[in-house]
Amino acid sequence: MDKLKNHVKELLESGEIAGFLGLIDDGGHPVPYLFTKEHLDRLDAMVVPDFRYPMTDILLRIVRKYPEETIGVMVRGCDDRALVELAKNQRIFPELVRPVGIACTKEMAEACRCSQPYPREIHYGEKVEGVNDRSDLAAVESKPLDERLDYWMGQFSKCIKCYGCRNICSMCFCDQCTLEDETLIMTGQSPPEIPIFHLIRAFHMAGRCIDCGLCEEACPAHIPLRSLYRKVREDMADYFGYVTGMDESEKDPLEFLGSEGYEVPSKIDET
Amino acid sequence: MTNSVPELEDADCILITGSNTTSSHPLIASRIMKAKEKGAKVIVIDPRRTHIASLADIHVKQNLGSDVAWINGLMHIILKEGWQNQSFIDERTEGFEEVKKAVEGYTPEKVEEITGIPKETLREIAEIYAKSGASSIVYCMGITQHITGTDNVKSLANLAMLTGQIGRPSTGVNPLRGQNNVQGSTDMAAIPNKYPGYQDVTNEEIRKKFEKAWGGPLSPNVGLTVVEMINAIEEGKLKGLYILGENPLVSDPDSTHVEKALEDVEFLVVQDIFLTETAKKADVVLPGASFAEKDGTYTGTDRRFQKIRKAIEPLGEAKPDWEILCMVGKAMGSKGFDFPSPKEVFDELAELTPIYHGADYDRIEKEVIHWPCKDKDDPGSPYLHKDGFARGKGLFTPIEFKPPAELPDEEYPFQLTTGRLPFHYHTGTMTRVSPSLTHEVNEAYIELHPEDAKALDVKSGGRVRVSSRRGSIEVRVLVTTGINKGVAFIPFHFAEAAANRLTNAAALDPIAKIPEYKVCAIKIEKIDGREA
Repeated sequence: MDKLKNHVKELLESGEIAGFLGLIDDGGHPVPYLFTKEHLDRLDAMVVPDFRYPMTDILLRIVRKYPEETIGVMVRGCDDRALVELAKNQRIFPELVRPVGIACTKEMAEACRCSQPYPREIHYGEKVEGVNDRSDLAAVESKPLDERLDYWMGQFSKCIKCYGCRNICSMCFCDQCTLEDETLIMTGQSPPEIPIFHLIRAFHMAGRCIDCGLCEEACPAHIPLRSLYRKVREDMADYFGYVTGMDESEKDPLEFLGSEGYEVPSKIDET
Repeated sequence: MTNSVPELEDADCILITGSNTTSSHPLIASRIMKAKEKGAKVIVIDPRRTHIASLADIHVKQNLGSDVAWINGLMHIILKEGWQNQSFIDERTEGFEEVKKAVEGYTPEKVEEITGIPKETLREIAEIYAKSGASSIVYCMGITQHITGTDNVKSLANLAMLTGQIGRPSTGVNPLRGQNNVQGSTDMAAIPNKYPGYQDVTNEEIRKKFEKAWGGPLSPNVGLTVVEMINAIEEGKLKGLYILGENPLVSDPDSTHVEKALEDVEFLVVQDIFLTETAKKADVVLPGASFAEKDGTYTGTDRRFQKIRKAIEPLGEAKPDWEILCMVGKAMGSKGFDFPSPKEVFDELAELTPIYHGADYDRIEKEVIHWPCKDKDDPGSPYLHKDGFARGKGLFTPIEFKPPAELPDEEYPFQLTTGRLPFHYHTGTMTRVSPSLTHEVNEAYIELHPEDAKALDVKSGGRVRVSSRRGSIEVRVLVTTGINKGVAFIPFHFAEAAANRLTNAAALDPIAKIPEYKVCAIKIEKIDGREA
């Protein structure tokens, strides 16, 4: 931990970064905090708890306010994947963001069923292998189609339209949200119109979702949202060979078709 | 609540009545959904098909104000079938014979006639509730806001005692208290007949304890409830009113009458975080600080202490309510208002209040504590009545059904019930300033059954004038099968078309003095295109 604090201290002192977004112990509760050169003593209270905040979402707010500055940010594997996608979507300039990487513990990786529980560069913690577990998808896929529809409609019918899934999502950075477009989804209803509310969100997660699972953690109705988006993520990998959050230079086939185009994979014709 | 919120997840049966849980207490609804996924039976008895009703195993729409009848009906069936918990009744309660006699006449046929609940469904509900391992009753304002509010609650208590569904984890009689701190505010004695911790103002020994602690004489008399205060202004008996965090101009029944009283009162002070409709009538407005701008504690609906921490400094001239009250107290020349921080307020409270006695800031920082917590070694009480009731034996109270105060007639042929939407809170003081919430809904409407809409020649989106003996408002129509024929629903959040222009302030529960927000008689007239 001292090594981590010193690293952040050096970055701040040298002026390499203007601020560092990390977590601080506030009366026993770890909360997000922007460490600065002016208050280096606050680094004593910096913590790395065994739970997560949507760090990149908070980062975006800071970047919007201080667009010229270089900001450091504590990232886990999932946050780092978000940074990759945010750079592709031109929400951040990678040269103005300095990730400080935290490798998750084996327990956290297992609890999150995380396939890559470590960032590109690790400054704290030991790298552990990812968990490749698609039992949640297999369980849904084992149901006959009509039962599967009933299952999802039952899950969606619990929704209270709190927008928690969207609000906590690192990849929900749009200025205007389709979910609030009343020509597509009627306002004032709870549950919101189903399944369209959830399907719109699922489609928008294709080529975007970095599989952090915060949506499902945040959902007060316990809708297995992550399974839904994992399926979309898996489809993107199967059909387009595209996995989000891995490589900054790789283009999202759904976002950047452009003039070059993509060859439609044969697998789509078969299904 | 007799039991704590997390316990709901482990209930085998949850009987919800008069609670629009998904809208008003969504996080409690989330526990109920978890329980259902674990196999619990969820039963909803509510005049509307609310979101939670649509997720339930059984939902029945009772006639408005018929609650005593169906609860007596359930007890009638349970006793006929021998599903009562006789050993619990014998060991833990008294007055059983009187209740047994009282419910004898509530045959399923008679109950169906009064309540509209089919007798087969009533039997099914009785069986599931009585026979489940742990059955929990969850209720809210749909039970209390009637002239029989106290009767309704006592009837639910009778039902729980009859079946022994109380005093164990995941059982109990669980009123869902409002906001984050309605429980806390009654704990603090924001009620006219108690000192903090529900100690009677009429008890001399208790009064002397508080006189000693607070250094001055205290009144031995019970004060007035909210609705009585408004009436007392009209009678010329009340000259000054100091309102904190309430907006009675929108939330109290018969707004026209409230408006007149607030104009007539000689001196009105309103302390709130926003300039409410009520605050606009005030002689003095004091700016309170919001939850994010102060330290202190809340007490949740399940009697749990929750510490809050200041995230930002109060904006503008705002101050935490306790600080403002201390300043007013000092300005009036009173002693005992020199608290350096909320911690010292809590310490005094714990000192004088037996149910809080074992709690302190250090403990509630680290531990989950539900009162009563009597001393430092007491871990608190997630559920009540484990080994005995507060008075010793649980008292059964025989109760007869009484119809609502105002029934439909030729002039006012519809029944109105009021309630909430998921997107707004109470009078909208905090939610109607939120762009995302007003984007969802920002206008009152009336829910009507398709047959009634047809008879009135109105469609969803059309406008109607709704009138009662007290006043009149104009609203849009929403046609739905989620409500019975002859019944209408209007959410009360919207001051410009306030449902409480229509509700009845004259009819109060004789004990709790709660008004009958949930039933009154109205007429509905179509407004034609030109007029609208």
